[in-house]
Amino acid sequence: MATTQTTNQELSLDTLDIISDEHYQRNGYPHREWAYLRRHAPVFWYDRPNVDPFWAITKHADIISISTRPRVFLNGPRLLIFPKQPGEGPPAGPDPFRHLLNMDPPEHGQYRGLINTRFTPRSVRKLEPEIDQIAKRVLDDVTSHVMNKVAARGECDFVIDVSSKVPLAVIAELIGAPREDWDNLFKWTNETIGGSDPEFQQGASTGETLDRARMAMFQYFAELVSRRQKEPKDDLTSVIANAKLDGKPLEPFELLSYFFLLVVAGNETTRNATSGGLLAFIENPDQWERLRKNPALMKTAVEEIVRWTTPVIQFARTASEDAEVRGQKIRAGESCGLFYPSGNRDEDVFQDPYRFDIGRDPNPHVAFGIGEHFCLGANLARLELEVIFRQLVKRFEHFELAGQVERLRSSFVGGIKHMPVRFETRRARN
Amino acid sequence: MRVVVDLELCEGNTKCMEAAPEVFQVRDDDKSHLLIERPPESMRERVKKAARICPRQAIKLIED
Repeated sequence: MATTQTTNQELSLDTLDIISDEHYQRNGYPHREWAYLRRHAPVFWYDRPNVDPFWAITKHADIISISTRPRVFLNGPRLLIFPKQPGEGPPAGPDPFRHLLNMDPPEHGQYRGLINTRFTPRSVRKLEPEIDQIAKRVLDDVTSHVMNKVAARGECDFVIDVSSKVPLAVIAELIGAPREDWDNLFKWTNETIGGSDPEFQQGASTGETLDRARMAMFQYFAELVSRRQKEPKDDLTSVIANAKLDGKPLEPFELLSYFFLLVVAGNETTRNATSGGLLAFIENPDQWERLRKNPALMKTAVEEIVRWTTPVIQFARTASEDAEVRGQKIRAGESCGLFYPSGNRDEDVFQDPYRFDIGRDPNPHVAFGIGEHFCLGANLARLELEVIFRQLVKRFEHFELAGQVERLRSSFVGGIKHMPVRFETRRARN
Repeated sequence: MRVVVDLELCEGNTKCMEAAPEVFQVRDDDKSHLLIERPPESMRERVKKAARICPRQAIKLIED
């Protein structure tokens, strides 16, 4: 997501803001602040009234160094850096779920091992025809009212009409959720990721919104699980519902949490990479032309879209013992916030990091993390992006913004809620 | 130099095979199999690269 670098005011370590939700909603990613931190204070003790203090980690090498010490830097104690919401109390108590994201070794590996064979490049590749059908259907809907003309113009909200639909359909198919339930899955995902955004709160507080979504999902999946326990199918729900660890079925809390993770992680991230990717092409029309002329660049283009957008802004790790990062002592119990988009603009790793270059190679971005918690859905996300952008390039001549890009009020996921675009379809369609 | 792949961690991402195809082979079981356990010095850099870029950090180099 591009930054809006409108302000020229001097930054200072005492005041710069990288964690308030409003900052992200208003300005997009704080790349200017991150660049300042990388340069002046790459391991920075961020201590402000609106958040429990943490070490802000902004360098690529340090994100990797922490991520690859999963027994020293734990996920369990603090999943992410959650700012306190104005007018609300601090986020309460332990996480109301237990899944891969807040598990640590060796438990994390055991739970991940239940389904990870379904997400390997080889397994995921088999889904290509199905994902292709989904993407074609979604785009047919968008263009149906203009397709009887030779080269037609139209408008849509790209987020609602395209980028949210494909990942939702894909993960719902994998899970085996019936189509009539997809709208609910979409709503619950929005409420979970956008819990601090008024658009999804419907008058409730952040905590109430998150609780409401989680309870609804738990309820829904409890029923789906019981159906699949009686009558298993070839879907992920059947695998998880009937899984055994050490000879015993999963406890209901961990079992239902697993679905919560799959639905949320499978939706929001790819949605935002898709929206942010198209926005990058709109802002860099030369790269759109380059991809149209040379579709063989799709693989590197997808990696660059993922680097450029880096939809997950941060996760946290908490030191289980005294440790060091870049010579700085991190005491047991202190947390580090890993800012992935900052690592992906690190001048020490990427040449010309603020250039959107679809031929970038190598592109060792950390948008999927690395090590123990490397994104389980990375290969699925890559394939979805590949399929979507292949279709976009094939079908559309041109895109431009037709209104304001509306960003999510969140410092966890860099979301685009609405993106009105005007499009022109290509003459020959296939 | 000896190479070890942690098969519990490996998820068949094939990055190792791209970096050093003489040493690593990802097979139908989605696991990286070693073709050479003790690669010659000439392959050191590429094996190191494979270990570095492995998304799951499943590859270890052990110096004898």
